[in-house]
Amino acid sequence: MRKGTSSALTLSLGFAAVVALSATVVLGLTLPKTFEQEEYSRLIAVHPGVAWAAYIAFGVTAVASALWLLPRTRSRTWDLVAGASAEIGVVFTALMLVTGSIWGRPTWGVYWVWDARLTLSALMLMLLVGYLALRRVPADPDVRAQRSAFVALLSVLVVPVNHYAVEWWRTLHQSRSLDMTPSDDLDGEFIAAMMLGLLAFTLVYAWLLVHRVRVARLEEEREDEALAVAIDERRREAEVVG
Amino acid sequence: MGYVAAGYGITIGTLAAYAAWLLVRGRRAGGR
Repeated sequence: MRKGTSSALTLSLGFAAVVALSATVVLGLTLPKTFEQEEYSRLIAVHPGVAWAAYIAFGVTAVASALWLLPRTRSRTWDLVAGASAEIGVVFTALMLVTGSIWGRPTWGVYWVWDARLTLSALMLMLLVGYLALRRVPADPDVRAQRSAFVALLSVLVVPVNHYAVEWWRTLHQSRSLDMTPSDDLDGEFIAAMMLGLLAFTLVYAWLLVHRVRVARLEEEREDEALAVAIDERRREAEVVG
Repeated sequence: MGYVAAGYGITIGTLAAYAAWLLVRGRRAGGR
């Protein structure tokens, strides 16, 4: 009997994610053409949602790391959650950069410029990849968890800086799409598509996180079993020789 | 339309591929 990583929770989460994502695609692709951007503004249903999920992923890695560092809440699970969320963060951050570049080409005329927002986003990806590389450096599990947690807590500072980069520096990237004031210049249906995208990609992130943590746990169990078998074999060899 | 289709396609395609890879990895690691 094969035991996978699916459960009633992931099935319902997966169903909700697929429904929300399908609605996002339909709503996004049927948005009207705009005067400034023609049909390219339809990317508003995808790009902000993907960026949001990347921020959440990085944030969850940092919170889980802090929970591991605090003696009262320390548990192996938090270390696994931190690692799992960072891996998903790499996927979403890469997608954020790719969809942003794709949107930039027809609206700005270039795929890439080294402005504050884009540079910090690239740095975010590098920090996440570096964090995952650090987790692969062989060490005692507790030592590895501790140094990874410190690095995650330092690296996560890039997220708020990146979020406010468009206000603090002059960037080609537009300022925040939604500033929650009556002067918001985004039409209702564009806001709806963007919010639906945020919900859909959050659900996708949650589904991926649960599965990734379960995969990590199963792989650890397999490694422990393999180690126990190897130790047992060495013991028997020693008995035969002795 | 090419840029919009590319944005949607790459995003959905990448996420679907990653999700499928996780499911396969989970089944492999869960096998007895």
